Amino acid sequence: MSFELASTLVTLFVLAGIGTPVGYSIILASLVYLGFAGLDLALAGEKIIQGLYRSFILLAVPLFIIAANIMNAGTISDRLLQFCVAAVGRFRGGLGHVNVVASLIFSGMSGSAVADAAGIGKIIIEMMTKGGRYAPGYAAAITAASATIGPIIPPSIPMVLYALVSNTSIGALFLAGIVPGLIMGVVLMAMNYYISSRRGFALEEPVPIRQLPKHTANAFPALLMPVILLYGIYGGVTTPTEAAAVAAFYALVLAAVFYRALSVKALYGILVESARSSAAVGLVIGGALILNFVVVSENIPAMVADSLVGIDMSPLVFLILVNLLVLGLGCVLDATTIILVIVPLFIPASRELGIDLVHFGVLVVVNSMIGLITPPYGILLFVINAVTGIPLKEIIGEIWAFLAVLIGALLLLILFPDIVLFLPRLLGYQG
Amino acid sequence: MLDKIRKWFTHGTEFIAAAMIAAMFLTFLIQIFSRYVMMAPFGWTLELSLILWVWIVFFGCAFIVREQDHITFDIFYLAGGRRARQVLALAAAAAIVIGMAISFLPTWDYIDWMRMRRTSTVENPFTGNKIPLRTIFSIYAIFMVAIIVRYIWRFVDVLRNGPPDSDHDIPGHDPEPPHLRHGEDVV
Repeated sequence: MSFELASTLVTLFVLAGIGTPVGYSIILASLVYLGFAGLDLALAGEKIIQGLYRSFILLAVPLFIIAANIMNAGTISDRLLQFCVAAVGRFRGGLGHVNVVASLIFSGMSGSAVADAAGIGKIIIEMMTKGGRYAPGYAAAITAASATIGPIIPPSIPMVLYALVSNTSIGALFLAGIVPGLIMGVVLMAMNYYISSRRGFALEEPVPIRQLPKHTANAFPALLMPVILLYGIYGGVTTPTEAAAVAAFYALVLAAVFYRALSVKALYGILVESARSSAAVGLVIGGALILNFVVVSENIPAMVADSLVGIDMSPLVFLILVNLLVLGLGCVLDATTIILVIVPLFIPASRELGIDLVHFGVLVVVNSMIGLITPPYGILLFVINAVTGIPLKEIIGEIWAFLAVLIGALLLLILFPDIVLFLPRLLGYQG
Repeated sequence: MLDKIRKWFTHGTEFIAAAMIAAMFLTFLIQIFSRYVMMAPFGWTLELSLILWVWIVFFGCAFIVREQDHITFDIFYLAGGRRARQVLALAAAAAIVIGMAISFLPTWDYIDWMRMRRTSTVENPFTGNKIPLRTIFSIYAIFMVAIIVRYIWRFVDVLRNGPPDSDHDIPGHDPEPPHLRHGEDVV
């Protein structure tokens, strides 16, 4: 390792470690690299601005953020929830299932786990804990666990970021996420059923079947959204970025015109918040662009690949090791940071080992989403704690069972790549 | 007086950021409309969206992104006591100010040099000329200056008043009810 690189890494870890915003830490660390390598300091700014200015694909990020925020502010989430209660609320562990199914549907729209947890999650936790039917910690834990499905089922902001660093097709990535997302839903519902039966959580009053059409009609325009998005992207009608804009627009029309649940003032608030989150994420993306320049200048990915080829590692062992690493890092790092900064180091190596990059991408995204609920540093746990006031300790105490089944699902995806690749191949992905 | 200016400044910058993201959204919709309904895509919509995106990121980080909105790794920071936090916050602020200040002139040289290049499709609506990239990239220089000023301010503030408690809260966070402290009686 060169001296420049070593000092860059030290700067990065020290600055980020003491709580400097990750985006600034990366920029400063790359300045250290440029300085010691005798390069122009302006390269940092140049790579960041040019990178953001030239990548069309990134425009999907602010657009999905707007879409998610609109959906949370309007009554779209509530209507979806009523539909889910009517559909699956009658079974053992009813509201737990509602929780998972709502996440599955909602995730077809928002592309962000945090939006999922903060929006629909908050409402459903209130329903679950009302009258003491479910322990607050349990309600919060299953909400956090099911919110991880959000970015697996398209659209998905983390997958857009992965496509950026790996040059894979977003369309194929999105398709590849559907089955894994459903599997995650199924294992969570199974665990919920098991725990609810054992602990004897109260059954819901079933919503009469004849009311189901009413609830379906009420939620129908919202249920149509994933269909529109998927048709747009996979029918080859729109690019994923355009689909993001269509999603945001559709959400806006639904909330403002159709359901009449969005005031001008609320819309303004949404725009300000969306700009704020887009800027904060954009800074880290910009940082990742300059850091990638450093990583490529130092030829690190090729070095990683060479050393792996040298020791003749099997693809499966490689995948398991990388996944263990990401899982470990997920306990302490944010998903955006992992995908933009850590994952690119392993992409050439996995290409070298003949691992499909779409498969690899889905594994990494699933894995970093699991990281969002692994203690001690799980953003979703914090968000739910923030919006509901349920103590972190109680949430963490209940999260382990769900964490275990999600990791089981991840293992399944590692061992059987066909689960992931079946759907994209069916629709023409060559890989 | 100072508070009043500050409030107006916050409202003003938030308004500009909201307007920019709304404009970006709208431009994108126009693009989709031109492509799929009129079947004759405008060239300028894509570039305008990208310009607005760059401006949203750097204008946003300069003026409306608060300390707690940033993606931060704060396990060690939060584990420290008040004194330790103060030192860490000071070090972080100082590092940002120094790094941005040292790289400012070279970066400005680059941005200034970009006056040679112009946008490929977007035109200035008043003159009809293509816009020099210097104008578009200048937001990065504004961002750097704003960050330098902000973190000098923060450095002084932390030095005088200690580390602000709210910095590492999750946005919109209500603190948990305090747990029983050591020595308190549980009745």
